[in-house]
Amino acid sequence: MEDKEILEKFANPDSRNVAFNQLVRKYQQKIYWHIRKMVIDHDDADDLTQEVFIKVWKNLENFRQDAQLYTWLYRIATNECLTFLSSKRKKFFLPINDVAAELTEKIDSSPNIDGDEIQLKLQKALLKLPDKQRLVFNMKYYDELKYEEMSEILGTSVGALKASYHHAVKKIEEFIKRD
Amino acid sequence: MKDDFKLSDLPKRNIYEVPEKYFDRLPAQIMERTAGAGYSPAPWYAAAWKPLRLALAPLMLVLVLGVLYFANLNNKADQQNVNLAGIQDEDILNYLSTYAVLESSDFAELQTVSDREMTSEFLNVSSKAAEEELEYYQLDTIDY
Repeated sequence: MEDKEILEKFANPDSRNVAFNQLVRKYQQKIYWHIRKMVIDHDDADDLTQEVFIKVWKNLENFRQDAQLYTWLYRIATNECLTFLSSKRKKFFLPINDVAAELTEKIDSSPNIDGDEIQLKLQKALLKLPDKQRLVFNMKYYDELKYEEMSEILGTSVGALKASYHHAVKKIEEFIKRD
Repeated sequence: MKDDFKLSDLPKRNIYEVPEKYFDRLPAQIMERTAGAGYSPAPWYAAAWKPLRLALAPLMLVLVLGVLYFANLNNKADQQNVNLAGIQDEDILNYLSTYAVLESSDFAELQTVSDREMTSEFLNVSSKAAEEELEYYQLDTIDY
């Protein structure tokens, strides 16, 4: 079902639930994986994914169709991730490195992670990046979004995103070479 | 690790996994939560707002420019009134004698003034002070 059709059906109280169910089915995986790569842990990703869709449910009627629906969803998911990681630091008075260490430990111990040595190293290298740079890297490298789409989601200029991605790749390569 | 490692050489792979049938269950869990969540209906003006916004933008611009233009006009008129009303004659004379550039019309006026007898009141100076000033500049020795 096209986004436009979903939005039209959602506007009608009789078909609102059906339309929203379609929306969740269409975008759940993209949103979940976007979140999961940021928070690493499945249970956290599950909670945040549900929170994102509840926010979408509450605000979809006010969604202005100037933007694409999926960039709007990505933006909500991105904000949820950043808020989650930030509150994690504040809650436990943790510096950035300690949160990265905690997430790194999850990579080693979580039952829902399966990768060879180099893939695990890549994920650990990613955790060395600042949250926003990690977001940029994930969106470009894994989700293969265009810089223009990322710019709309993150509210950052295309030039800054290109520079951020370029530096992220360099840092990751350096980390893997060194380790 | 080899020194020439390039990220582009590494095959892209998602190493994270989800519990079995997770994505089959997730929509139902979310729908269950939406039942109690309520939603924010769009306000009555939401549908009309987008086209209205487009029409209002140039109108607002014209309105703002108009207001600025008229405000500017009024300010200028007020400023002139204030200038004329608030300044003492003596201050105007002082200003003119210090800064004003004299033109031919001023000299013509000076001619009419010079035909009249200049009283100490007109010059606003005592005769003693005038003599001292002349002596200082040695004006009495200058030929015109």
